[in-house]
Amino acid sequence: MNHGLGAFADHLLPKSKSTRVAWLAALTLSLVLASLPWLIKLDGHPHADWQQFLGRFHPLAVHLPIGLLVLLPLLEIAGAFRPPLREAAGFVLALALAGCLFALTLGLLLAYGSGEAGAGVTRHMSGGIALTIVVLLCLLARPWWAQGTVPRVYPALLTGMLLLLVWTAHQGGSLTHGSNYLTQYMPPSLKRLTTLGTKTPPATSFYAQQINPILDANCVTCHGEAKASGGLRMDSYDLLMRGGKDGAVIVAGQPQRSILFQRVTLPSDHKQFMPAEGKPPLRPQEIAWIKAWVQQGASPTATTLAGIAIPQRRAEPPLQPVGDYSALMPQIRQMEQAQGAKLLPVSSKPADGLTLYTVDAAAGFGDAQLAQFQKFAPYIVEAELGRTAVTNASFDTLKQFTRLRALHLEGTRITGDGLAKLAPLSQLTYINLSGTQVTSAAVAPLSSMKNLRHIYLYNTPAQPAPAAEQTQPIARNTP
Amino acid sequence: MKQHPLCTDTEHNPNVMDLAVPVELKQEWAALQTRRHFLGRSGKVLGWAAIASLLGDRALRGDVPASNPHGQPKMQTGEPLKLPHFAPKAKRAIYLFMSGGPPQIDLLDYKPGLAALYNKDVPDSVRGTQQLTGMTAGQARFPVAPSHWGFKRYGQTGTWISDLLPNTGRMVDDLAIIKSTNTDAINHEPAIMLMNTGNMNAGKPCLGSWLAYGLGSMNDNLPTFMVLQSKLNPKENNQPVSSRLWGSGFLSSEYAGVGLRSSGDPVLYLSDPDGVSREVRRTMLDAVNEINRQTSQELGDPETNARISQYEMAYRMQASVPELADLSKEPKSTWDLYGDEAREPGTFAYNCLMARRMAERGVRFTQVYKRGWDVHDNVTGILPIICQETDRACYALITDLKQRGLLDDTLVVWAGEFGRTVYSQGGLTPENYGRDHHPRCFTTWMTGGGVRTGITYGETDDYSYNVVKDSVPVRDFNATILHCLGIDHNRLTYQFQGLNQKLTGTTPASVAQGLLA
Repeated sequence: MNHGLGAFADHLLPKSKSTRVAWLAALTLSLVLASLPWLIKLDGHPHADWQQFLGRFHPLAVHLPIGLLVLLPLLEIAGAFRPPLREAAGFVLALALAGCLFALTLGLLLAYGSGEAGAGVTRHMSGGIALTIVVLLCLLARPWWAQGTVPRVYPALLTGMLLLLVWTAHQGGSLTHGSNYLTQYMPPSLKRLTTLGTKTPPATSFYAQQINPILDANCVTCHGEAKASGGLRMDSYDLLMRGGKDGAVIVAGQPQRSILFQRVTLPSDHKQFMPAEGKPPLRPQEIAWIKAWVQQGASPTATTLAGIAIPQRRAEPPLQPVGDYSALMPQIRQMEQAQGAKLLPVSSKPADGLTLYTVDAAAGFGDAQLAQFQKFAPYIVEAELGRTAVTNASFDTLKQFTRLRALHLEGTRITGDGLAKLAPLSQLTYINLSGTQVTSAAVAPLSSMKNLRHIYLYNTPAQPAPAAEQTQPIARNTP
Repeated sequence: MKQHPLCTDTEHNPNVMDLAVPVELKQEWAALQTRRHFLGRSGKVLGWAAIASLLGDRALRGDVPASNPHGQPKMQTGEPLKLPHFAPKAKRAIYLFMSGGPPQIDLLDYKPGLAALYNKDVPDSVRGTQQLTGMTAGQARFPVAPSHWGFKRYGQTGTWISDLLPNTGRMVDDLAIIKSTNTDAINHEPAIMLMNTGNMNAGKPCLGSWLAYGLGSMNDNLPTFMVLQSKLNPKENNQPVSSRLWGSGFLSSEYAGVGLRSSGDPVLYLSDPDGVSREVRRTMLDAVNEINRQTSQELGDPETNARISQYEMAYRMQASVPELADLSKEPKSTWDLYGDEAREPGTFAYNCLMARRMAERGVRFTQVYKRGWDVHDNVTGILPIICQETDRACYALITDLKQRGLLDDTLVVWAGEFGRTVYSQGGLTPENYGRDHHPRCFTTWMTGGGVRTGITYGETDDYSYNVVKDSVPVRDFNATILHCLGIDHNRLTYQFQGLNQKLTGTTPASVAQGLLA
C-alpha cells in the first residue's frame, strides 16, 4: 500500500526530494496512528499513576486544537477576500496538527493509565486518531489546493475534518458529562421530534417490567446515584449499558461475555461475586431472565422474549362511567329513609356511580326492599347485601343491575339456584358468596362470566379444597 | 431597619418619635395617633363583627354540613365534603399499631453484612450529626449488634423474613414491605403523635378521625372509627398509649375513635342497669335530646349536636356491640386460624378477629394497638415473646380477610412509631444486646385494597441506619393511606387557627406511587 501511495504521490507532486520525504514521513505517521488501538490495548485496568497525572491534562489540552481547527475554514474562506488571512491558515493548520498529536498522547495516557474502557472510550479514541490523520492529510493536500493542481481534495478533507471533529468532541463530552447531558433538559416536544425520547425504555418493555426491578432491588444500593462502585451505575438503561471502569457490563447477545452475567453466576464465595458483601444472591429465575434478555439483544424496548413466560397480572378493566344521578338525589334520599339502606356515592364524580349499603337494615332487608332500588339500577356499581334476608329470588332483580361491578351476598340464604341469571352483568368482577349454602354446581355458571375474577366461596359447600400452601421457606440463610 | 415586603408588623414602621422634630410636634402626633388608632380599629372590628353575624359561622366555614330541620347534624357522607375525591380501592382500613418501635433489623430489614461487623463501631459517616436519645447519647461506643436470628426467604417473591416471624413469611407475597419509612421524632410520645396525627404536638385529629370526618359512616349502628387496645404483657416494656392518639382534635368530637375495653364489658355503662328497660332508656334519651336541642338552638355550639349524636350512637350500640362481640357463631376454622388465644378478650389475636368482624360490619377504620415493642435491652429475651403474640394473629387476620373476600376493599397497615438502632444499647454479648430508638428508618407493611402487593419498597444502607432509596416520611405514609381510601391528602382540610389544616401538615407530602396497585 505504501508503495502504491508513494507512486501516486510521485505522479502528483513536483519531484523534489524534501517533499517526498515529508510524504513518506506523513504516511508512516498515519499508519502508526491508525494502528494505535492495537498497539496500546485498553484492558480496563489502571496503570501507572504518572500516566493518569499527565493524562488528566487531556481535557485541558484538547481545546487548543479544537479552537484552531474551527478557525481554519474561517481563515480559508475569509482569505478569499483578504489574502493575508489565507497565508496565516497554513500556520494555524500546522499548529493544530501539533496540538492534535499532543492531545492524543495525553488522551491515550488518560485512558490507559486510569483503566478506562468501554464503548464510549473506544469511540472517542478512534475519533481522535482519525481526526489527527485527517488533519495530517489536510496539511499535505493544502499545497495542491493553493497551487490549483488538485482543487477539490483539500476542501473535501476540511469538511470531513469538521464533521469528525464534532462527532469526536461529542463522544468526549458524553464521557465526562454523561450521554444525556445535552438532551436532558430538551423540551419534550423537541425530544419527540428528534426521537431521542425513545432512548428511555417504555414502561411496558421487558427491561422496565422485569430487568430494572431486579437491578433496583439487588444492585442499585451500591451501583446507583449515591454510590457508583466501580464507576458503574445501574439505575437507568443508558447508565447500565455505558458500563463501569471495567468496561461494558452488558454485551448484547453474549451473556457469557457480559460482566453482569458473569458476576452473578460466580460461586457465591468468590471474591468477585455479586451482589457483594453478603447480600442475598439473585434467584435462579432472575438470573434466567437476565440471561435471556442479554442473549436476545438487551433491548430497551422489546416487550417479550422468546422462551420466557411472565405470569401477567390481568389488568382490571377500566371503570365504565355511569350516568349522572345528581338530579335523582331527592328520590334517593326518600328511598333511603323508607328502606333503611344507603345509596352512597363512590366518589365525588357522579360517573363513578353509587354503592348500596344495607348493613343498617340487615335482616330487615329482603327481596322486596331490593326490588325498590331497581329504579336506580343504572347508577349502582356495587351492592353490599351481606347478611341480609335476600334469597335466590333476588337474582331476578339483580340481573337488571347491569352496571354492577361488585356484589356481596355473604352470609345470606342464597343457595345459588339461578346464579346463571346474573350472566348479563358483564362488568361484574367480584362476587362474594361466603357463608352461604351455594354448591359447586350452582356456582358453575359463574365461570362463563369473563370479567368475573374474584369469586369468594369461603365456608360454603362449594369451597374448593385448600391449595397446598408453601409453608417452608425457599432457602436457608447461611451467613 | 429594612422590612420584608410581606411583613405587616406596624411596630417597625418609621417612628415619628425617633425623627428629628420638635418635642411639641411629637406630643401632638402621639395624641393624634391614639385617636386614629382607636377610631380605625373599632371601625374594623365592628365591620368584621357585622359580617360574621350576617353570614354566620357555618356559612363562613363552608365545609360544615347544614343542620336538617330536626337540629341533628347530617351524617351523610359524600355530599358535604365531596368525598372521596376519586373512586377508592379500599372502603375501610385496619391499622395494626405496633407501639414502642419494632426493631426492623431483627424482623424485616435483612442485613447479612452485619454479622461480619459484630462489635465494630458504627462509622461516624453513617451516624452523621444525628442527635441520639438520652439513653444512649452518653455511650462511649456504638457497637454493631447483628440480629440474633436467622432469616429465610419466603414466597414467590423470595423475600427475606426473620425466623421470629414465620407466619408473616407465609403471607409475604400479599404484603408491600416498606423498608424506608422514617420519622422526625426520636422519643415515643412525639413519634406516636406524629404517626397518628401528622404532628408531634398533641391536639391534632388523628388519621381515623380524618377518615370518619371525610368519609362518614357505612354503618349507623357502630362508630365509624373504633380502637382496640391489646392487653399488656408485664414482661414487655409497655409505653403508654393515651386517648389523644385517637382524639378528634379540632374536628367535632363525634369523629373521635371509640375504644373497646380489653376486658369486661367492651364498652363501659353500655348495658342498661337492672330495672331499666329499653323503652325507659329511649324515653329518657328523647327527653335529654330535646333539652340538648334547645341548648343547641340557644347557643349554637356544634359540640351540643355532637353530644346528641353520641347519645344516639350509644343507644344503637346497645344492640350492635353485643352482636359484634358475640363470637359463639364463629366456625371452627376461625379458631384454627387465629389460635385459641383469640378466645380470650383483649389479646392481640382477639383484637385481630374483632377487627375482621368490624370490617364485615362496615366500620370504616379500626385501629388495634399492641404495646411492648420498646425493647431497649434484653432484645433476645423479649422479642420472641412479642413476636409470638403478634405474628400468627397478623397472618390470621390477613388470611381471614382474604378468604372472606374482604381484602379486596380493606387496607391493612402494620406500623410502629419508629425503628431501632443497629448499635447495641448497653452491653453487647453474643447472647444478648439492646436497641435504642431509631427514627431515620423503620420497616412497615401494608396490604389490601389499593396496595401493590408482593413488593419491597425502599432501601436502607448496610447498617439499616439511613434510607438510601425511595424514602417514605410519615407524611408520605399517611398521604398514601389516604390515597388508597380515595382521598387527595391536599384536599381533605379543615379551617382552624387560620390555616387549612390537614393530616399531612404543611410540609409538602406526596403519595408513594410505587406502593399503589
